[in-house]
Amino acid sequence: MSAHTDTVTLPATAAKASAPRVPLMVPLRLTWLLARPSANGLSAAALPVTAFALVTALLLTVVAGGLSFFQWKDDTGELYLALAAIATALLVVPLMTLGGSAARLSARRRDERLATLRLLGAPASTVAVMTVAESALLAAVGALAGVIGHLLLVPLVQLIPFRGEALGRSVWMGPGPIVLVATGVVILAALSAMLGLRKIVISPLGVRTRQQPPKLHWLRAVGAVAVIGAVVAAMSNLDGIRDFAVVVVVLVTGFAGALAVLNLVGPWLIGVLARRQLRAAQTPERLLAARQILDSPKRAWRQVSGVAMTCFIAVFGGTGAALMNASGPMEGSERFLGDDVRTGLLITIVASFLMVACSVGVNQSSLLLDRRDLYVSLDRLGMPVGTMNAARTRAVMFPLIVVSVGSALTAVVVVLPLAGMALIFAPLSVAVIIGCLAGGVALVLLGLRATQPILAHILRTPGAAL
Amino acid sequence: MTTNPSGTPLPPRPATTGTAVFSARGLTKNYDATRALADLSLDIRAGESVAVMGPSGGGKTTLLHCLAGIITPDAGQVLLQRDGGTTDVARLSDRDRSALRRSTFGFVFQQGLLIPELTALENVAVALMLLGVDRASAEHSAAQWLAALGLAGMEDRRVGQLSGGQAQRVAIARAQVTGASVIFADEPTGALDSGTSAEVMDILLHSTTGTGKTLVVVTHDDDVARRCARTVRLRDGRIVSDSLRAEVAA
Ligand SMILES: Nc1ncnc2c1ncn2[C@@H]1O[C@H](COP(=O)(O)OP(=O)(O)OP(=O)(O)O)[C@@H](O)[C@H]1O
Ligand SMILES: [Mg+2]
Repeated sequence: MSAHTDTVTLPATAAKASAPRVPLMVPLRLTWLLARPSANGLSAAALPVTAFALVTALLLTVVAGGLSFFQWKDDTGELYLALAAIATALLVVPLMTLGGSAARLSARRRDERLATLRLLGAPASTVAVMTVAESALLAAVGALAGVIGHLLLVPLVQLIPFRGEALGRSVWMGPGPIVLVATGVVILAALSAMLGLRKIVISPLGVRTRQQPPKLHWLRAVGAVAVIGAVVAAMSNLDGIRDFAVVVVVLVTGFAGALAVLNLVGPWLIGVLARRQLRAAQTPERLLAARQILDSPKRAWRQVSGVAMTCFIAVFGGTGAALMNASGPMEGSERFLGDDVRTGLLITIVASFLMVACSVGVNQSSLLLDRRDLYVSLDRLGMPVGTMNAARTRAVMFPLIVVSVGSALTAVVVVLPLAGMALIFAPLSVAVIIGCLAGGVALVLLGLRATQPILAHILRTPGAAL
Repeated sequence: MTTNPSGTPLPPRPATTGTAVFSARGLTKNYDATRALADLSLDIRAGESVAVMGPSGGGKTTLLHCLAGIITPDAGQVLLQRDGGTTDVARLSDRDRSALRRSTFGFVFQQGLLIPELTALENVAVALMLLGVDRASAEHSAAQWLAALGLAGMEDRRVGQLSGGQAQRVAIARAQVTGASVIFADEPTGALDSGTSAEVMDILLHSTTGTGKTLVVVTHDDDVARRCARTVRLRDGRIVSDSLRAEVAA
């Protein structure tokens, strides 16, 4: 490592002496030089731009959808608004994961460029300006594309029926809020680039030290079981409580507690199961996938944790829908409630899987580009591309399945005292739950597939470097 | 499929006699306006150790990649003798060349390029598992190779926990665990200091030509070249000299 630093600093001082300092124009010109599409075909800027476009389009659509629920002013309207708020809140985690992936993608570019810049003799301030300028530029282009994507999505969202009719025009936010949201994305991207800069100062090469991966403690599991036990106990005693407010508090606390447990125990569980996969692995792809997960169970969890809440909710919602069906047709403005809850549920689930699929696509793309040399060398050793893709797929799908099934099961345990077996396993709720999960898994698989051309491209154009 | 690294399955053959494993005929390779190989012909005999030298951009890597079926030449043949038959590597499909690389050839790159998440043992075993060998046998052979190359006790280390020389030895084990008959190395000691470089080169030579295998090594290092039986120099995609070492290896 120190050797690398030496080779970087020496030419830097030499270049600094000869280059006259022009405060702003130099970094901007350099930014352009380094950011313009490279000659080797696949433009390195395309990926972060796509990622920011996805973030912006999905964020805008979620906000627009949420706002459209303000259209009803009656009592039932308030209930709808509350449900919409919950749905929006549920989408925050997967959306943030996606945003984080986008930020990391442009960080990867930045790390790559940094060495070049230092060799060119750019002073630290230039590097700082460039970094932020580049991230903001990429985010701005992406946000613009995202706005277009949102405009294309709106007509589809307008078709979604609530309270007996399509949402229609209410989904349209108008230009003001759209610009506001898009600007927010750009500002966040610039901020995260500025924060990332500090990390680089600490670890100039941005290289992960590859030591033995940390083992997560089994105490996590014990703590988790205790919390779930407490939640189940509280839920079982809800009947005795007359005060509706207390019931709501218990429900919300129980819900939050269960989710906290998922977060605590998720990485641990993934680690334990991956270790078993590792021991049983008989093919290269299984071995590679298990090792990749074990390298950081936390990262594996983070990538798919966006669906944890959704699967949790799928069980709640599925049961709720069955419950409303069972209690017979309702009157007046509430008569659509059962159907609408189901619709909302489906949308939330599909949206969260969509976001996870996007962030999987983005993460996998950057992982491929990060490890270009490795993949090229494996190809040279004669590892079939199919094996590489199978390993990548397993490394994502395994945690995804663990998370979906794990959180759905946790939800069943928590809901059991409230609803009882019959409702949870009613054909309707089971159909909703299974359908959602299967659709979600398919979406994530699609996100993975979308990255296969990138690997093919890398192997086709290994470059003269190796 | 596996060979025992400590035993000698094949007796060492003198480098100057024997049949050609490789006969390259009229190899030409262009990259846009650059002529990387210009009508190059070369025979490499079984059990030979060949150092490929020459200035940067001379076409050394390109030649190695053509011989190994990593790239295909624009013109010319790469005739490989194996199983009593002759195969033109340049005419094989992508899939067949990939299969040939994992079964018959071994590779050592400048930087080990090991899979960072795997242990040393697993990195070596994967090469065998790709050929359908079951995990236990693969790891058994891998452990033998690691021990033979002086890495006993380091099986469970990850790449980040190995020194450059150790990582390169793991790569050498990986290249040979399949019983590959030809080992290609592109500047295998390029990233090592001279002491470690000599050690790694010793191990590479002993484990390859020492057991009858063929070694083709691209290098800028005269010390490395001196240890090989034959030195081929390339410039502008042509062979400018081809010499056998005066004293024959002991
Ligand atoms: N993938 C490629 N695309 C374009 N040009 C290439 C490519 N690979 C090699 N070349 C060119 O072909 C010529 C021969 O390259 P090659 O890599 O074989 O040289 P080399 O002798 O291995 O050099 P070095 O000692 O620097 O590794 C060079 O001019 C190089 O720029
Ligand atoms: Mg070369």
